[in-house]
Amino acid sequence: MSIIYVLIPLSIILMILAIGFFFWAVKNNQFDDLDTPALDVLDDDPPARNRNETSDDQA
Amino acid sequence: MSAVLSNDGPDPAAASIACGHCGEPVPQGLKLYAKVAGESQPMCCNGCQTIATLIDGAGLGRYYDFRDALPQRPDETIQSQEDFLAWDRNAVLDHHARRIRPGQVELALVLENVHCAACSWLIRRFVGELPGVESLQVDIADGRAMLRLNPERTPLSEVAARLASLGYGPHLDTPEAGQDRDRDQRHEMLKALVVAGLGMMQVMSFALAGYIGAMQDIDATSERFFQLISMVVAVPVALYSGRIFYRSAWRTLKSGRMGMDVPVALAMLLALLSSIVITWLDAGETYFDSVVMFIFFLLLGRYAVLVARQKAGRLHSALARALPTQVRRLSQKGSELVSMVELQVGDRLQISTGETIAADGTILKGHARIDESLLSGESIPSKRQAGDAVMAGSLIRDGQIELRIDQLGQNTTLSGIVRLLDQARQFRPRMAQLADRVAGVFVTVVLSAAAVTGLIWWQIDATHALPVALAVLVVSCPCALALGTPVALASATRGLARLGILIHRPDALEALPRLTHLVLDKTGTLTQSRPELIETRVIGDMDPSRARRLAGRLERVSRHPLGLAFSPFDDGAPVTDGLSVTASGVSGVIEGQAYRLGKAGFIETMIGEPVTEPGQGQWLALANEQGLLAWFLLDLPLRQGAAELVQQLQASGKTLWLASGDRFANVEALATSLGIQNYHAELSPEEKLALMRKLQAEGATVAMIGDGINDAPVLAGADVSMALAEGADIARTQADLVVTGPGLDRLGSALALAPRVRRTIIQNLSWALGYNLLALPFAMAGLIPPWLAAIGMSASSLIVVLNARRLGNESTKAQSPSRMMLASPPAGPS
Repeated sequence: MSIIYVLIPLSIILMILAIGFFFWAVKNNQFDDLDTPALDVLDDDPPARNRNETSDDQA
Repeated sequence: MSAVLSNDGPDPAAASIACGHCGEPVPQGLKLYAKVAGESQPMCCNGCQTIATLIDGAGLGRYYDFRDALPQRPDETIQSQEDFLAWDRNAVLDHHARRIRPGQVELALVLENVHCAACSWLIRRFVGELPGVESLQVDIADGRAMLRLNPERTPLSEVAARLASLGYGPHLDTPEAGQDRDRDQRHEMLKALVVAGLGMMQVMSFALAGYIGAMQDIDATSERFFQLISMVVAVPVALYSGRIFYRSAWRTLKSGRMGMDVPVALAMLLALLSSIVITWLDAGETYFDSVVMFIFFLLLGRYAVLVARQKAGRLHSALARALPTQVRRLSQKGSELVSMVELQVGDRLQISTGETIAADGTILKGHARIDESLLSGESIPSKRQAGDAVMAGSLIRDGQIELRIDQLGQNTTLSGIVRLLDQARQFRPRMAQLADRVAGVFVTVVLSAAAVTGLIWWQIDATHALPVALAVLVVSCPCALALGTPVALASATRGLARLGILIHRPDALEALPRLTHLVLDKTGTLTQSRPELIETRVIGDMDPSRARRLAGRLERVSRHPLGLAFSPFDDGAPVTDGLSVTASGVSGVIEGQAYRLGKAGFIETMIGEPVTEPGQGQWLALANEQGLLAWFLLDLPLRQGAAELVQQLQASGKTLWLASGDRFANVEALATSLGIQNYHAELSPEEKLALMRKLQAEGATVAMIGDGINDAPVLAGADVSMALAEGADIARTQADLVVTGPGLDRLGSALALAPRVRRTIIQNLSWALGYNLLALPFAMAGLIPPWLAAIGMSASSLIVVLNARRLGNESTKAQSPSRMMLASPPAGPS
């Protein structure tokens, strides 16, 4: 059972990482528009050039 | 505005064809078509046709599948890139944009007409494909877009023109906009919420391990480990996520009041501290899981409330967005196109046909017909010339003027109106103040109840004392009680603002359903305020056009609506000693000769002999000291929606009184045609007030509907006052409700909404109070654990908010039935 002394602190570190990532996302306004991304998936043929540029920017 | 057009076709069949783009009825006989989703659809106007063709041409026809709300009908003329050229100037980028790295700027644009996800999708597809657009985030809730742009590859004016071509007219956002604050608040709350949620899951899993372990003979070391690790997670989470509550509780305590966050914050800190002490002493049960869960559920409720309130707070901001995108400034060197931020008081501007006036100022040169409908709802342009003052936000219909800027930005009349809207938004209504006071008392009671319960349980069973006291604190938080009224009024205010009705005193909404009597003014209320000159009869050898010119000059001093009929004939020649006599007429001296224009009685006192009017209707006489010069016949067209409003009010059992300063025959004719039984004519404002006092003395609750200025004293005496205000008067009007649109039908929607507002408030308050009182005994008996109490309390607040939200949604739906009503054959003469 002594494995929990390793795994549980590890899970807490993971949680801290998750919170850090979430804060980053909020700061970058990822949560300001929760409606449009759902429509993007339905669109079969987006302009390819634009998609590349957008993803470059996000990276 | 759209309703005006739909009323053009009295034939019901005309209303059955809806525009394929905006859904408005297509005017009869109009043959405009555009391709929508592969099919040819009828269009109601050129604007819609242009946009629909554009969307189809760009291969973005899926927009019509995605959208779940219809767009507003676009303007007939769509702005092109030339209209935004000044946006490419460095001053604009310096003032409005943030430079992220060389060659890239970030700026916020406020967009018109954005209301569903499909809009946002369309904008990102159509504008995002421009080479210089690095990213474009549209926030539907705010109606704002965050644009990252490389201005060297694509100028800002091109982006703006693309947005405008879709009907989403862009406006530069001022940096100090309150929306940034709103967003920061939302972000802070969201972060606190997610930290609490993740923390809750962790701490719960440790607690669960402890509970299961207790049944399976967990060894003491492991149990201690789970307790410690719970503390390690829970304490920072509770301190971080709970700080919103601690802060607000501390603020109210510091100002010597009892806020509703006090018991909540107390419960959290108490549970947290005692759990730390228990862990330290290793003395049994801890409450870390309860604390974090409690914070999470509370935040969940608060977050929903925050989002709903911020949405409700977004008033129809067309007023604030009404300024031009660029202006032509004149200087020694000539003229140049500049942006709004470069303007200073004293600058000279040149403004021509079709352009909007950027600042309050005085006309230096030229003349123009100016449309002040944005400020007044008065759609007929008025003539202005050198020396006249004009207001920011007015539109030049035709002509060209040179303007000296007197007031800019925050100091303009337009800003004043916007500020007034803001004030109304922040006004704490009487019932909400009452609820706040009740909540203060309530909190004190709750704190004592919790203390007493804790003490009693200490005697019975010491281990249960703390959780029970915590549950009492939490379950009886009067959040929902304090929220009930303000959220309902905020929702209703938002709905009404969309209909063009501004609420200056939200209390009025509560009083509306209690009304028994309505006193209506005639001129400017049931009829339009701008009368038309029907006939000129001259006496002797007077030239008719000279008579009209004289009348036009004289009426310049008058504030009476009848005077407006003569303003087209005003040639601007000087008038001295101009004087307006209430309910009589105007007098003045022109070219050394004293003139009077007004009612027969007013003329008699000048020329000293009796005069009789030449016929039925509204006749005004023009005279000088030598005698009568001319008669003018004026007529007031009935205001749109007047007949329907009268019908609606009578159907709902209200007693209507028509009280007018106008002569008996005119008032009688109108009252008969509208079916109003009680009418009084030739009343002065004092007599109107006396009439209302008499009705009030008989126990009636009386509303007065009048035009803002002439009826000001009467409006002030009414239980609820409603005004149809014009121009700068919107800001000056003291009425509770101000109708800014051209038609009376909007007022009908407000009256129809009012009983529902009241019902919603009562529902909210009784629910909140009932829930608190019901749950309290159970909590005191120790039957409700703290975490369940937290869920219950949040749910209670949420129910109140959602109930109020229905109001805002339904009031916007109410627009379409009123349109249908208008499309049916009008009952009264018009």
